[in-house]
Amino acid sequence: MYAWPHWLALVVMTPLAGAALTPIAALLDRRSPPWWALATMTFTSLAATMLVLRVFAEGPFSYLPGGWAAPYGVELRFDEFSAVVGVICLIGWMAILFSSRYTRSLPEFASDRSPYYYALLLLNLGGMIGFAVTGDLFNLFVFLEILSLSGYALVAVGGERIAEMAAFKYLLMGAVSSVLVLFAIGFLYGMTGTLNIADVTARLGALEGPTAPAAVALALLAVGFVTKAAIFPLHVWLPDAHAAAPSPVSAVLSGLVVKLGVIGMIRTYRIYYGAGLFDLTVLNHVLMWLGAISIVMGAFFAIFQEDVKLMLAYSTISNIGYIIMGLGLATTYGVIGASVHIFNHALIKATLFLAVGAIIYRTGYRTLSDLRGVGRAMPLTSVALSIGAISIVGIPPTAGFLCKWYITLGAFEANQPLFGFVLVFGALLIFVYYIRMVNAFYFREPIHAEVTEAREVPVSMLLPTLVLASLCLIMGVLGRIPLTFIEPGVVRLLAPLGG
Amino acid sequence: MRRPIAIALVLLSAIPLVVAVAGLPAHGDPSAPVHTHVSAHYIERGAEEAGATNLVTGVLLNYRGLDAAGEVTVIFTALIAVLAILLGTGTTPESTASSRGASDRRGADRESTVAPVSPIVSFVVRLLAPFIALYAAYVILHGHVTPGGGFQGGAILAGLFIALAMVLGTRAMQPVARTALAPWLQGAAVLSFVVVGTVGAFLTGFFLGFPAEPPLHLVRELLIIALEVGIAIGGAAVLATIFLHMEAS
Repeated sequence: MYAWPHWLALVVMTPLAGAALTPIAALLDRRSPPWWALATMTFTSLAATMLVLRVFAEGPFSYLPGGWAAPYGVELRFDEFSAVVGVICLIGWMAILFSSRYTRSLPEFASDRSPYYYALLLLNLGGMIGFAVTGDLFNLFVFLEILSLSGYALVAVGGERIAEMAAFKYLLMGAVSSVLVLFAIGFLYGMTGTLNIADVTARLGALEGPTAPAAVALALLAVGFVTKAAIFPLHVWLPDAHAAAPSPVSAVLSGLVVKLGVIGMIRTYRIYYGAGLFDLTVLNHVLMWLGAISIVMGAFFAIFQEDVKLMLAYSTISNIGYIIMGLGLATTYGVIGASVHIFNHALIKATLFLAVGAIIYRTGYRTLSDLRGVGRAMPLTSVALSIGAISIVGIPPTAGFLCKWYITLGAFEANQPLFGFVLVFGALLIFVYYIRMVNAFYFREPIHAEVTEAREVPVSMLLPTLVLASLCLIMGVLGRIPLTFIEPGVVRLLAPLGG
Repeated sequence: MRRPIAIALVLLSAIPLVVAVAGLPAHGDPSAPVHTHVSAHYIERGAEEAGATNLVTGVLLNYRGLDAAGEVTVIFTALIAVLAILLGTGTTPESTASSRGASDRRGADRESTVAPVSPIVSFVVRLLAPFIALYAAYVILHGHVTPGGGFQGGAILAGLFIALAMVLGTRAMQPVARTALAPWLQGAAVLSFVVVGTVGAFLTGFFLGFPAEPPLHLVRELLIIALEVGIAIGGAAVLATIFLHMEAS
């Protein structure tokens, strides 16, 4: 069943078609958009499951829209890294279900906006899926634009106080980084005459003449994607944007959208490792250092945040730091750890944002001091939050442990023990600020009546939170499966083309 | 102090870009990779393989159809983004109309808010309107033979809507932006790719495939025209709707 080739076209087109139909569905029944979006994502998840099963069984495979052979048409290519569509579908589904109740409480979220909100979510998810599965550079850019544009709007859609300003800042940084990526694609096309990623790699490897454009293209791609991934010092757009967005959107943005910057970085590496045109040691060192600085700075800023959502947003910078550092280590262990952390951090951060969203929904407060004692009033949500907190610190047996362990091993493998220590130090800092949160929620006396009187949220919000939280635990116990799954992809990534 | 530093940084970062551009193959060099690899194939075989005498259309809709599907989705996303942010803030006609049920009064206000236009301009716009519409239709429907196509024709059509709205008031655009038909028109580009792509999958076995064998090559022509029309309607509706909301706020 998974061998049916069209799943790959369906996984990309279903969310986009669903988005175009959402305003039409809203005309027929005003309350239908969330359920329509949910149905769309259910089908997309089915397609994604088939694709992940297939890549597990057969290794990477392609789909040729229009039937045109690779360099002439656009190629969709599903490899081990594309399996991120599985987690995109999962978190997207949960975020939509969570939104169905949550958005009713948003200020200024008139019901007129509802169909457009769900259409934007579907476009965002579809853009990410397309980005992850395409094998063509220009197609990559097109999907990058879909996911970025919808991301900017999703930040502003909740109508919180600073949301519009945050979205505008995000828009400016995002637009500049997109232009850099486009410019780089132009350089690569000018040098090779092709846009297919595999073809560009091969022709770049056989290049004669000046290599300066290829080097500048590499720099532009790196800066562009690292900005999308919010690595220090290009992270300035992230905290406000992720904290001001509605919580289910924060889960999608923080859990998934920044990761697509990392996927873009992996695609870039594939081209340049494969072409073997340059020695990438310098870039790797830059990424290692930026990653390390992001880990420490993100964690450091997070400690001083009173606003829970801002704290989670800074913690994302820290965790992307782990991933970028793992990539920069350029050893098998390091890159495997980084790749799996893309999956695991998505689960963990979505759990945290949904749990915090549920708490904000019930109490109306969002700072640590206001939320004292909420753990007793909303026990299930708080347990989910605590599981997320333990996972993100990386305490075994949760999902965060194995990938951080692998990145540490990678640091020692690369003979860079310093970075191994940075990682452990970062984990300690993270531990400090999450312990602050757990302490405030469980062991301090509440200061607001709303907090003590808060009840558990409705099932449509509780269920996604609990499912994601239990996945954090399950992925900790079954942690070896993604590690072995991604390994052939990583080995292929790091190897030069043709031996 | 910050401004000179910023300008200096921008100029500094321009240096590697200029160096890189200088390192690219010379403009118009016939032996450059951009002319010898993929595009050479398009020029040699494109008209015959892709079924469009206009090679640009052949590449856009056939060889790289998925890119075009993505591009129309980007345009659609821009519209949805504008609507999602502006609706419900009390600045758009929709929100006022639906929340207060006062669309008639609002419509009357609207008539009076039309900027005063000279009767000559108004007459000329109305006089030219059918010809502009005809030109748009020509650009759209002839796009696979001569330069033009859905994107360009759609932009002309949107320009016509906007010009008419300036002289007649935004009521002229009601059907595009305010009725049950509106979401169909706004999503037309994306939906036409979905429909044509699916039909292609049934005919050729590939999503967005166009049949090239003799009995079905007429279907290919029709499918390409369907895409052009879909892109044009979608593009025009998106531009017109955004204009309407900008105008209202």
